[in-house]
Amino acid sequence: MDMVGIIFSNIYDSTLGDLTKNRTVASVPFGGRYRQIDFVLSNMVNSNVTTVGVITKHHYQSLMDHLISRSEWDLNRKNGGLFILPPFLSGQTEVYRGKIEALYGALSFLRHCSSDYVVLSDAVTICNIDYEEALEAHIKSGADVTVIANKEKECGGKERRLLLKTKGNKVTDVAIDSISDKYDLVGMGMFIIERNLLMEMVKNCVAHGKYHFERDFLQESFASKEISINAYEFKNIVLRNDNVVSYFKNNFKLMDEGVRKALFASDSPIYTKVRDEVPTFYGENAVVDDCIIADGCTIKGHVENCVIFRNVTIEEDCYVKNSIIMQGGIIEKGCNIDCVIADKDVKINKGRTLIGAETAPLIINKAEIV
Amino acid sequence: MLKRRKECIAMLLAGGQGSRLKVLTENTAKPAVPFGGKYRIIDFPLSNCINSGIDTVGILTQYQPLELNNYIGNGRPWGLDRNFGGAHILPPYSKSKKSEWYKGTANAIYQNMHFIDIYNPEYVLILSGDHIYKMDYNKMLKFHKEKGAECTIAVLDVPLKEASRFGIMKTDDAKDGDKITAFEEKPKKPTSTKASMGIYIFNWKILKQYLIEDEENPKSSNDFGKDIIPRLLEDKKGLYAYQFDGYWKDVGTISSLWEANMDLLDPKSDIKLKDKKFKIYSRNYAQPPSLITKSANITNSYVAEGSIVKGNVKNSIIFTGCVIDEFAEISDSVVMPNTHIGSNASVKYSIIGENVTVEKKCKIGGNPDDYQQWDISVVGKDNILDIEQVVKPGEII
Repeated sequence: MDMVGIIFSNIYDSTLGDLTKNRTVASVPFGGRYRQIDFVLSNMVNSNVTTVGVITKHHYQSLMDHLISRSEWDLNRKNGGLFILPPFLSGQTEVYRGKIEALYGALSFLRHCSSDYVVLSDAVTICNIDYEEALEAHIKSGADVTVIANKEKECGGKERRLLLKTKGNKVTDVAIDSISDKYDLVGMGMFIIERNLLMEMVKNCVAHGKYHFERDFLQESFASKEISINAYEFKNIVLRNDNVVSYFKNNFKLMDEGVRKALFASDSPIYTKVRDEVPTFYGENAVVDDCIIADGCTIKGHVENCVIFRNVTIEEDCYVKNSIIMQGGIIEKGCNIDCVIADKDVKINKGRTLIGAETAPLIINKAEIV
Repeated sequence: MLKRRKECIAMLLAGGQGSRLKVLTENTAKPAVPFGGKYRIIDFPLSNCINSGIDTVGILTQYQPLELNNYIGNGRPWGLDRNFGGAHILPPYSKSKKSEWYKGTANAIYQNMHFIDIYNPEYVLILSGDHIYKMDYNKMLKFHKEKGAECTIAVLDVPLKEASRFGIMKTDDAKDGDKITAFEEKPKKPTSTKASMGIYIFNWKILKQYLIEDEENPKSSNDFGKDIIPRLLEDKKGLYAYQFDGYWKDVGTISSLWEANMDLLDPKSDIKLKDKKFKIYSRNYAQPPSLITKSANITNSYVAEGSIVKGNVKNSIIFTGCVIDEFAEISDSVVMPNTHIGSNASVKYSIIGENVTVEKKCKIGGNPDDYQQWDISVVGKDNILDIEQVVKPGEII
């Protein structure tokens, strides 16, 4: 595959509230056993992209810990593989502001690649996409940049959407941050561009104090007719985790068998860090209604419409519903829990009642004891 | 030779044909048979090794090795991917003079003496690939050193009436209660209950000498239990019995394989699968978490990742990637990876192999109380059962 991948791990950190208090948006747990970055990273690997740079900014320790072995994605390679690109700080510079400045720090990585094309992606868009097909379409279109986009009806988190008006696959108008019916497609935070063009653009933009990829590069260069843009419409399931509420809802969408089939396709699996947990044990009085449950759990109470991560314990006489319980959580006897996101290693003591709302789920921070 | 060396390396005998497991080992070596929801039998000795600080394991394969070789790969899932040491598959191979299969357990080690010599070890641990147990071999090695032994054999106390199925040690030495004075392979009238677990630690120098002598003896069957151990005893070498009191089970037969799976569900059993300080590692196949729907009812069971459960599961082990449809009834059974159980099918006291399709309304196995002639039913790998097909208790297809 003549393409390298770049993943931005921090770009939307501010949108997921307390979940990104001590981690990058890329390493926010999702879907029972994954981190958000697993999806985009697996997509790249499944599309035969075997050189991937992950650009980080701050509190990326959890991300490093997650990616460190690189072997789960088969990215421990002699040629290429996975590169973690922390900010390149010298005396004069500050930590980057937007994607363009982030890429500026990754220029030496880009310079040393031999591939002609680069696929850029955020980590908050969950889908199972073949980038090889997208590259083929990009080359065929002859355009300078391809924006991977889909038709999106729901408009949660519209505040930073890249909106495209198209004629065929050719983009005729680019807008940001507004919602209007006259735009056909919504960008998925994924772009394909020639490597040399990307490096030129980054140098040029930084020289002019510009840092916002969508606004300062795509929109401006398009408006001044410097570049042509191709839209690649992705037609399968797309989940955008761009704020806490959509993140919360999207977790539950995985229970839909259609969504499950689309995201966890058998020919393009989603890889993640292996933890060697035992299978999940269901006790004598367990009641489980519509849940997704990872390995290593002990379920003895009643769970309904929940996403249960690895190594969680739900004790007897509990009623846990509409909630996300992350890795290592312990819900003691007799608890009553509804619309809660319990971060990793949370312990909820005997008989507690915790109730959030669908529009404002209650987030319990990592390792807290309630 | 490198200055680096290994104090102790393990040799894992994984070549057994496992013919008593019938269809389950038709195309698979016994150590590669699935166990406990997401494991294969060989995960237990391999994990024991790495948890005991032994990072060099020679795996001796012979029958149907393809799946096993694939499974072991470079040993990474067990942390056995080392530059010096690690997991090595050792099949029988052709030499310039002759080519031959492994004639017996001792011959298998004999043929790989050069492999052991690479690591220049003080001790060699001999293991077999068909037992389910968690054991810290390091404790046994410590015992071996303390006793100044030349060979230590791990033993387990078994009921006297079962003792005739095992190799039995007698340790009635007046000075040292652990010293082995006699050994009998499957005695008709056992006089001791100390059964060999098939786990040996040898001083490599001594073992090497005996392996060479044994090979030169044309009458020998080249077996540890039948030849090497008796010779050591004859020569009054220091043989010691190391008492193990944890969970251990030979899973060489259909019923013992089923029982060992059921033991995982027994809270009184001391296999302690979940013990975080002594994890069992396995190769992982990137499966999503399991999906349990409203129509499902799961009690006292293990369900592994990648499964979709819509039916009823009781006292059973469901492996990765299985689909259990609505109103299917599974009880007291083991359902191996990627098997599909259709709606309204009934599966009782059975082992269903990998990648099987059980169409709806099939009836497999039955409760022991309802039949005069009863046994575990087994459906072999890749079978496709027709709608309403019946597999009687004890039937193996």
